[in-house]
Order: sequence, then C-alpha cells, then structure tokens
Amino acid sequence: MKTRVAFFDFSSCEGCQLQIANLEEEILDLIEIVDVVSFREVMKEHSNEYDIAVIEGSIMRPMDEHRLRKIRSRCKILVALGACATTGGINKIRNQWPVENVIKEVYKDADIKDNEFFNAFQTKAVNEVIPVDYYIHGCPINRDEFKHVITSLALGKKPVIPTYPVCVECKKNENVCLFELGKYCLGPITRAGCNAICPTNGSPCDGCRGILSKPDVECVMEILQRYDLTYEELKSRCTLYNTNVFNPKDGMTLVRRSKND
Amino acid sequence: MTQSHSKIVKIITKKDLDTFVNNLIKNEKHNVVGVKTKGIKFVFGPLENASELRLDYDVTILPPKKYFLPPYETLMDFSLNKPFNVKESDVAKPRIIIGVHPYDIIALEQTDKVYLDSQKDDFYKKRRDNTIIIGVDIQKVSENSFAASMKTHVTESGFDLMLTYLGDKYAVTIGSEKGKKLLEKYAKMISATEVDIKKIEEVRKNIALQFKKKLKVDKEEWSSVLAANYDHPIWEKRSQKCMECGSCTMVCPTCFCYDVKDEVSIDLKEGSRIRTWDGCLLRDFTLIGSGEVFRDDIGKRYRHRFYRKGNYLPERYGFVACVGCGRCGIACLPDIADPCDVINDLSHFERSENTGKFFIKQKTEVAEKGTIHIPQSATIKRTERLTEMEMFFEIELDDKKPLGHIPGQFVEVSIFGVGEAPISVSSGPSSSSSFEIVVRRVGNVTSRLFRMKPGDKLGIRGPLGNGFDVKSFEKKHLLLSAGGIGIIPMRSLIQYVVDDENRKKYKDITILYGAKQPSEALFIEEFEDWCKIDDVKCELTVDQCVEGDCWTGCTGLITTLYPKIKLDRYDSENTVAIVIGPPIMYRYVIKCLETLGIPAKNIFVSLERRMKCGVGKCGHCQINGVYVCKEGPVFNYNDIKDLPEAFE
Repeated sequence: MKTRVAFFDFSSCEGCQLQIANLEEEILDLIEIVDVVSFREVMKEHSNEYDIAVIEGSIMRPMDEHRLRKIRSRCKILVALGACATTGGINKIRNQWPVENVIKEVYKDADIKDNEFFNAFQTKAVNEVIPVDYYIHGCPINRDEFKHVITSLALGKKPVIPTYPVCVECKKNENVCLFELGKYCLGPITRAGCNAICPTNGSPCDGCRGILSKPDVECVMEILQRYDLTYEELKSRCTLYNTNVFNPKDGMTLVRRSKND
Repeated sequence: MTQSHSKIVKIITKKDLDTFVNNLIKNEKHNVVGVKTKGIKFVFGPLENASELRLDYDVTILPPKKYFLPPYETLMDFSLNKPFNVKESDVAKPRIIIGVHPYDIIALEQTDKVYLDSQKDDFYKKRRDNTIIIGVDIQKVSENSFAASMKTHVTESGFDLMLTYLGDKYAVTIGSEKGKKLLEKYAKMISATEVDIKKIEEVRKNIALQFKKKLKVDKEEWSSVLAANYDHPIWEKRSQKCMECGSCTMVCPTCFCYDVKDEVSIDLKEGSRIRTWDGCLLRDFTLIGSGEVFRDDIGKRYRHRFYRKGNYLPERYGFVACVGCGRCGIACLPDIADPCDVINDLSHFERSENTGKFFIKQKTEVAEKGTIHIPQSATIKRTERLTEMEMFFEIELDDKKPLGHIPGQFVEVSIFGVGEAPISVSSGPSSSSSFEIVVRRVGNVTSRLFRMKPGDKLGIRGPLGNGFDVKSFEKKHLLLSAGGIGIIPMRSLIQYVVDDENRKKYKDITILYGAKQPSEALFIEEFEDWCKIDDVKCELTVDQCVEGDCWTGCTGLITTLYPKIKLDRYDSENTVAIVIGPPIMYRYVIKCLETLGIPAKNIFVSLERRMKCGVGKCGHCQINGVYVCKEGPVFNYNDIKDLPEAFE
C-alpha cells in the first residue's frame, strides 16, 4: 500500500500548499508514489486515514490545538510545512503585544464574546503544541526541498535539512555579499535550503527559514560598524520572522547559543 | 627567440589580444571563460566578447576551483528500479580560463597534489586535462591580499600562457605546448626583446611592493608557530566572534573538502549522487550516523581550519595551503578569518621544532584501483537479525572475486538513492567471494540495510583504510579488548588469528569483550567456540543486567577484567594489545594495559570518524593532521597518543 498523505492548514496564507499545487505535472509523479487523501486546495475528497500529516500554518486558538492534537493522534509522521508552522512565521509578529490588545485593535467593538473562532492566544509554532517529526522551512517553502522530504519519506529515509547557514549557498552562487552593498542580511545565521534565493536576487535574507545560532552581541555591533549599518536596520530585518531573536519590546536578545538545535 | 627563465615570451598588442580572445570564443571546441564584472565585484564567467574581459581586476569572489570541483557536481546517475544501473557522469567540455592570477594557479597546483595522488579523482583529473589556463600577472592588488608574503604573487608554472601587462601591450609567456599551439593558431604576435623581458621582471618586482598586507612570519615558519601554539587562547578568543557561516571555506581556493549526497526524482525512478562543497567550520562536518559530532566546539573548528592550512597539509604535502588571496578576509563579516592576521598575532610566541607532531605517515601507500567514486556491484547473500539494533549481512561481490581485505579494514556500503556509509568488515580475510558486515541501525544507510533481503543489490567501495599488520603480531601474545560493537571489526582479526593455518603463528590469545547488557552481546556462540581453541582465553562481561536477563557471566565494565589477567603469563614486551570500542572506552582500557606493563608501541586501536570519501580527499575524518580513512582506522597507539583530537 502506498503511503497516505494528508495536508492541513491552520493560520496561514496557504501559499506553501500552493507551492505544492504549483508542482503541476510533477503532481502526477507525486501521486504515483504516495496517496494524497486530503488536500483542500486541490481536491474535495477527504479521509481521516493517513500516514503522513503535513501541517501548514500557526496555531492561534484552543480549537486549533484541539484539531492539531487529533491529527497527531491519527498520523505516524507529522511534517510542519512553511514558516508559519515551523517557527510561527509572520504570525508571531503580533506576539510582541498582549493578545487582548491585538484582538481589540483588529475587531474593535464587534461582538465576539464567547465565540471560539475569535478566542485567540499568543501565536504558536506547531512544535509548541505537539511533537513534529520533520520540518520544511521557508516562506514560502522551496519546492525542491518539499520533493526531497516527500521522496525521502517514501523511500523510508530521514530527510536531510541543512544545518548550515544561507551564506554557504549564497557563496556557491557567487553573489556579491549584500553587506558590501550596505544591506543587513540575515544569511549568516539563517538555515539554508532555499538556495539563497533572496540574496541571489538582490534582496537581503529575512530569516524565514529560522535562525540557527544567535551570534555574539559584540560581534554584531562590530559588523554594523564595519559595514556602516545602523541598529535600526538590524531591528527591522528581524521583525518579520524573527521577533524571537530581536524583540522590539525587550531590545536585543542576541545571545550566543553553544549548539545548533 | 627571447626567453625568460628559459620560457618563450611573445609580445601582443592590446588590440591583438582582444582578437585572440574573440578567436578563442568563436572556436566552438572550448568554453571560454574569463574575469568579468558582477556588480561591484569580479567573477570568472562565460565570455561572449573580449570586451567583457577585465584583466585589471583585483580578486574574484570565487577562485577558479569552481571549474575543477564545481559547487554542485553529479558524480553518477543511477536507476532505482534496475539495481546497479550506474552511469558515470560526463565531465564538461574543454574549457579555456582567461585571467587567472598566479596565487590561484598555485592553489590549483596544490589541489593537484591532493586530488591527483595515488588515488586519483577521475572527475577532477578530466577537468584538469581538458582545461587551458591563461594566467595574468596581477595589475591591481586586492586590499586583503598578502600573496607577496606567501610568494604566490608570481608563478613560473601551472599555466599554459601567462599574460603580463606592459603598459601599451601584453607579454605572453608560453608555459606549455598546448598554450603555444593556441597562440600560434589564433594570435598575431612578435617575439619579445631583451628590453621587454627586463620590463616583465620589473613589473613583477613592482607588484610585490604594492601589497599593504604583510606577514610577520615567513610561510616556512607557519608549521612551527602552529605546532607550538595549539592551546593558545587566541583560538577560543577569536572564535567567539565566529558566526559559523562557513563563508571563509567556500571562497577559499585551497579549501577543497566536499560532501556527497543522493538525490532522487519525484517518481522515485532515477537518482543522482551529488558532490558539493563542504567546510570544516560547519558543525555537521564531523557528524556521524550515530549522532556523534567530533569537533563540536566552534573554537576547535575555527582552529582546525588554520591548522589544516598551516600545519597539517604542509606536513603531509609540503605546501602551506594558503596562497594569500585574501578572499576569506573579505567574506568574513566579523573579520576573524584572515590567516595573515592570525599568524601575525602569533608571531611573537614560541616556535616548535616538532612540526610533525599532528601527523603520522601512512603505513602503506594504497595502489590505484580504478575509479574512486563508482562502487562495485554486490549482492546480499544472507542476513540475520542479531539484536534489536544489529543485523548481520553476508555480501558477495558480483565479479565473484574475494574482497581482498585485511582484518580491520572497512568498506563504503552504497545504497543508491540513500547514500554511502563506512562499515567495518567483520569477517576474516578469505579466498571466498563473500565477506560479512554487521551494522547497527543508526543512520539512513543502515536503516535501509535493515529492510534489505538476500538477493538485493548493494554498492561496495573498498577495502579501504589501514588494517592490522598481522605479520608484525606473529610470535606474540595477543590481548584483544572489544567494547560494544567494537567486537564487529575485532571479529575480522579474531577469525584470522584463530584460523587453523594461522593459530600457530601467535602465542596465547586472550579475548576480553564488554557489552552493555546481555541482550546486546554479539557473536555469543562464536565466542564460546573461540574459548575451546587451545590457549585462547575468553572473558565476557556486561555492564549491567536488567530484570529478566538470563545471565550467569561477569557483570561490570570491561576494565574489571584486567586484574584477572595473570601477569606472570605475560611477558608484557611480547604482548600485543588491540583495543576497539566506543570513544569513552579507550582512555580507561589503555590505562589498564599500561598497568599491565604493555608498552604503547604494542597497543593498537581502531578509531571511528566520519569516513566519507575513504581516499583522503573530503576531509571529514581528520584527527588533527591524520586521515582516519587512510592512516587508520587501525592505529598504533604510540603514533596517535599525543594527537589532541584522538581521544577527546
């Protein structure tokens, strides 16, 4: 029997599933090697019997947690898909304010009391609720990495997700370092696997694939000085995906970690 | 004809040089690449017209190593459905590289020493053979470069043609027959005069004066400075700023370590084995299947990079593996990567005469054996589940020839689409076409092996590495200590020495084996058989028993067995002790052996590291300057006891 795969979405733009839908004719190869039993974006059938659950999106409400736990209990392997699921992604931007203030800001005076759909808590990544077996990072994901993970799981091997930073891939692409162009790039501390797509196209890395190691504060300050960059630039670069590295409320939380996680 | 250092020199006008380059571009046989701009920087890239060529560049982002060891390279393609349908990858068509600076040419000559040794890298060799190098003397010195201090700012060899800018024209020094022919075929030129030759020398002398960055320590002294300062606080201190980004290794012309991984198509029908650049600064560089990382601390990885360049490779090959191009200094954001700064910081500290203390000479030079990357086809004959975690395989090479190994050697087991893993051979040498391995399920390859059945196909490379010199053990007492899965490679030695034919060559044999618990003890039946052989004494102990274990033997660590050894039976000088076990075991067992009076030179160990290529190229298995895949895995303890990374 072929491995059964189901896709689920939580708080997200569903853009990572769209990346999979965008595999186009390769989708046909994909359904040759696995049975896709649930994939709201491309099919209406659904089954609760599956081996691999692929989760896109962050967890924002008690009802999400409940649904996620159910999925976990039904699957053998759980894969977090995309930044919202793997790190919390841009949904975590709002964690810098108390959740009550966020709800107030968005819904103003609408009557949402006792409505579980609006009963939000601070954004969580999937692994803050249940154990995750494999991660497909990125905003959006890299389709090649998705294919690598799916083929690996179909072959029964552990997918290899890079533990080295974007700089490695960026250097292999022989890009002009963006620091030398006066841009603050998170490439040196962000997990590779995207083939350095942003720096290769002239945009600094925003760290969507997650931070590998937090550098020494003194070192960061020196770099800012060496490349004539400001603290503000570093701050703005970190707010999109990495408020856990740089928290505007608490200021700099860059502390070296001895080991990668 | 005028000559400089016995080389023929021609003169070509700037206009005629353009015509020459354009003629080369039109010549379809070769890809013509040269230095051109990329934004504010320079790179080597395909040339469409001579006008793109920037011979006045300072330094390129990447060195030309990318044309010989590409960042991503397909070593072979394979089919997953038809086992062992492997196609060796085609190597790119012939290429002409225009504008290579002398330091990069010297870096390629260094790479040759590593990649074209007795175990040649076929892909690298093909590219070297079909590439023509047109060098150019430096016109603008890069701010970060210290090539003059490294004496790599000029070169007399390694090029087919070398251009030197003489203000209004170029001098072309002919370095090879290939270069000469190319020039004759496509260029209009005249012979150089005595004045021109003098001018070339002046230009080269003048280049040396333009370097702002200078070494305070001659490159010949690097090895001795590093040998004396291994524990200097500089490594820890400087590495605190390291972001572990690996950029310094990627852009370095003499960092040529690599990783290999298998990729498969989404329909799971086809796959490729890809080689890609790896760097010793990255944490997973030394990660092995069981999850152990041998150089976990960034300070140690940072130090390793400099020692490889300034001590390990110099001791092995005779060259300092830094050409002073300064690329790492440019790429490193916190500016800690530049070897010139590091060596200068150490300049007023001591030197050590014992420069070779991190390196041992390989015992036997391995003969060339066809291609180093393509495995031989083999078939699983028999499998047996030994324990929860270990499985036994009998494997036969499809050419029906014996593996030809000696005890202690290993093979790279290859499963297409999954990868390769180094596995010790567990059977003794034999004339049979099959051999045996036992694997513990830890990584992808071993997990996949667990699901394989008799008749399934595998790839085998090897035998690899240095095994036990069984001849030198003759007429000696043997004391064999195996801990955990160390019994697996030890079995290859035991089978050899207890063999009817060989038994009489050795005096009495003691086999000590410590397993974690009864359920993990391997080869128990064989162990009992060994006990029955004359003058073979076996002791088995388990660290602990858990409830339900049926165990009447010893309990306790393997170290508890040594006091039982009757010393008077052992003439310690005439005892050879062999130890194979987990890293933690060595220190304690060796202490016991020393207590028994067995000298270090009589002790042999087998060490585990990440043996990826198996042929001393990829760099992953290094213990200081030693390659475990070549000089090991079997070592004389005396040779490695002072290597700081051996028993950490």
